[in-house]
Amino acid sequence: MTRTRTAALVATAAAVAAALAACTSSGGGGGGSTGTADTGELKAGVFLDVTSWDPAAADIGFDGPYLSAVYDPLVALDKDGKPVPALAKSWEWSADRLTLTAELRTDVTFDDGQKFDSAAAVANLQHLKAGVRSGQAYLNVAGVEAKDADTVEIKLSKRDDSLLYFMGLGRSWMASPAAIQAGALANGPVGSGPYTYDKANSAPQSQYVFTKKQSHWDSGTYPFPTVKLFPITDQTASFNAMLSGQLNVQFANAANLPKAKENGWNIASKPSSWVGVQFADRTGSQVKALGDQRVRQAISYAFDAAGILKAVGNGSGTVTNQLFPSDNSGVYDKSMNDKYKTDMAKAKQLLADAGYPDGFAVKMPMSPIFAAWQPAANQTFGELGIKVEWQDMAMPDYQKNAPTYPMFLAVIAMSGNDMATLSDQVTTAQWYNPNPSVDAFPEVKALVEQVEKAEPGPQQTELLKQLNTKLVDLAWWSVWYQADNNYFSVKGITVTPITGMMFPTLRFIQRG
Amino acid sequence: MLSFIAKRLLSGILLLVVVTSGTFFLAYLAVGDPTPGLLGNSATPAQQAALRTKIGYDQPLLVQFWNWFSNAATGDFGTSWRNFQPVNDQMALRVPVTLSVVVVATVLSAVIGVAVGIACGLRPGGMLDRGLKLASVVLFALPGFWVSLVLVMWFAIELRWFPAIGYVSPDQSVGGWLRSITLPSVSLALGAIVMVGEQLRNGFLQVANQDFVRTLRARGLSGRRVTMHVLRNASPAALTVLALLFVGLLGGAIVVEIVFNLPGIGSLTQSASQIGDIPVLLGLTAVTVVFVVIVNFLLDLVLGWVNPKVRER
Repeated sequence: MTRTRTAALVATAAAVAAALAACTSSGGGGGGSTGTADTGELKAGVFLDVTSWDPAAADIGFDGPYLSAVYDPLVALDKDGKPVPALAKSWEWSADRLTLTAELRTDVTFDDGQKFDSAAAVANLQHLKAGVRSGQAYLNVAGVEAKDADTVEIKLSKRDDSLLYFMGLGRSWMASPAAIQAGALANGPVGSGPYTYDKANSAPQSQYVFTKKQSHWDSGTYPFPTVKLFPITDQTASFNAMLSGQLNVQFANAANLPKAKENGWNIASKPSSWVGVQFADRTGSQVKALGDQRVRQAISYAFDAAGILKAVGNGSGTVTNQLFPSDNSGVYDKSMNDKYKTDMAKAKQLLADAGYPDGFAVKMPMSPIFAAWQPAANQTFGELGIKVEWQDMAMPDYQKNAPTYPMFLAVIAMSGNDMATLSDQVTTAQWYNPNPSVDAFPEVKALVEQVEKAEPGPQQTELLKQLNTKLVDLAWWSVWYQADNNYFSVKGITVTPITGMMFPTLRFIQRG
Repeated sequence: MLSFIAKRLLSGILLLVVVTSGTFFLAYLAVGDPTPGLLGNSATPAQQAALRTKIGYDQPLLVQFWNWFSNAATGDFGTSWRNFQPVNDQMALRVPVTLSVVVVATVLSAVIGVAVGIACGLRPGGMLDRGLKLASVVLFALPGFWVSLVLVMWFAIELRWFPAIGYVSPDQSVGGWLRSITLPSVSLALGAIVMVGEQLRNGFLQVANQDFVRTLRARGLSGRRVTMHVLRNASPAALTVLALLFVGLLGGAIVVEIVFNLPGIGSLTQSASQIGDIPVLLGLTAVTVVFVVIVNFLLDLVLGWVNPKVRER
């Protein structure tokens, strides 16, 4: 090939590349990665794809931004995680807190022309109660009925002070009753939300486009005329998309925090999950040693939580031994954070006092997702003389099998509501705590009962504080730290994270 | 020729049945109870039990197999255990993405690889030939994800010629589609180009030294016609490599799908494996086997056309 031909080929290739670059793309692109560039539309990188357009089959975790575009909730949350009115204008509890009466908006119509009224709300709540994923929020709901055209009554079989919180978190999206009846929601959303799903310009599982409804009753809460949501699981791909200007909001990896600062992006962080050791056998039925409070305390003293947070969690979180959120819970007590300050000598002494000077043997599960913490666990247990036999398994097996082991490494989502924390972490059966051992600890049981009977407010918070102190003292868990979720946004867009939502709903993404 | 086609089709169907049935039992053995993975970490044991009933996991394994197999035989691969959407719908969204990237990568590998292979075969030891050798060492040594990331850094972030992530369907914009698959296809093709080029170059040199080529030259045939004869005789090995590459790229596409966030079958396979979505895994296995069977069938046809002796085997 002559030099002229080579040059011609190179020139042709460059021309083709330039022509392609000039082509418009609905896949995003353009816009800067810094400054206030490109905030006309919201282009958010969400970690996971929408699980389902049917609110009863959707996850709370990452489905929030998708569902909040097309559905209105009965109850929403404010930035502090407190329930606030949405389609329910107001609500009132009965004196025994077993009946919740809600007044509904009367100016809302679903996208298929059906009117939102009490019959629609009842159909939705019954659908949500029956849902395999949403049902957990309504475990204590005995029935729902329409009192008149714009009033519904929710009757509980047992008092549930976290019901409104879970409804606001993502368990009260209202869909067209006709679509529920037809079983059509799995194929696409039919709601009354602030945006219309633009199916023609969307590519399911890759990009979802939503166009704002100017006439929506809460239009002022949603500043962006167009919203594009991109499910991006790989954090490097997501960060590259942010750098290239394809995104202006991103669910971020803490490892990229320094680069985000260099780029002048806004950084929003919030505690999302606790990391540490879950004691599934606090009663010592499998491994007698774990039934001794001093052994659990020894394990808590032994771990260098600050070092683990720095090395594994990129320093993004708060070292604490509590699992009430460190930033907005009235129960969280910062002064208790030094209770288990790393002290290997004290840990060994406690083990010796409990009758295990040479440690003991225990089997623990291990999955690739927890491998980052394994070296620290190995080193710490080794120094204590605790001989761990790790049993490898895939992540789905880990969730299934971990609680059958006496203890296991855990990264567990936290709640932004104190009563929900009590329920999720202490009193109700969860995959990570299938047999709550409250009954085996009379002091804990008594406090739980008092909390559940107390009037919501300062009295209940005070009792929860006492319970929290007791749980920390008993080393109910060995919490190392509360890990943050991080979100990057370009200048001109702010994200307000909410504990309990892995990615906040659209009302928490604003201009500014 | 007809019996040749019929035999290949029958063996393909048999392969499909054996592989998918084997995958069914292996998947059930490997995944176990999928409900914890499917429902996430907030699910209660009661919710897990409800999901087991909903997806039919509480039925005996052989009953589940028969239900799946009888439906799959009619082309219905059931519904995903994660989002309860038909598996066919999900594959209809995902397969075109992976095929776009893999077909373009294969075409690039074929066109450039053949051109480079012939050029190197014609001038062994020349600059291009030495360049091919160096490229084959370097590109084989470099991990695919690293090559992809370098392309993203340069062409998407620095120059902004192409998007860093995402896929645009040709229905929406042909230009957007080309932009979205260019970098992923090039990432996949780079290693394949040198493989095809090297294979063809070696085959070309081997054939070029045979007696019949000397005879053709002695008879006064033009260089171009001699090259065509040599190419036809050297092509079976390169064609086989190309077909193997296509199948390999289909599996290897997962890396570029992750780096470029393409919603293809590779990333779907990965997510379905992680959460234990067995119907999706089985559907993807069936589709992949179908592609392997089709590609091998086409390869046999082309080889039979290039070399009639193959048809008699």
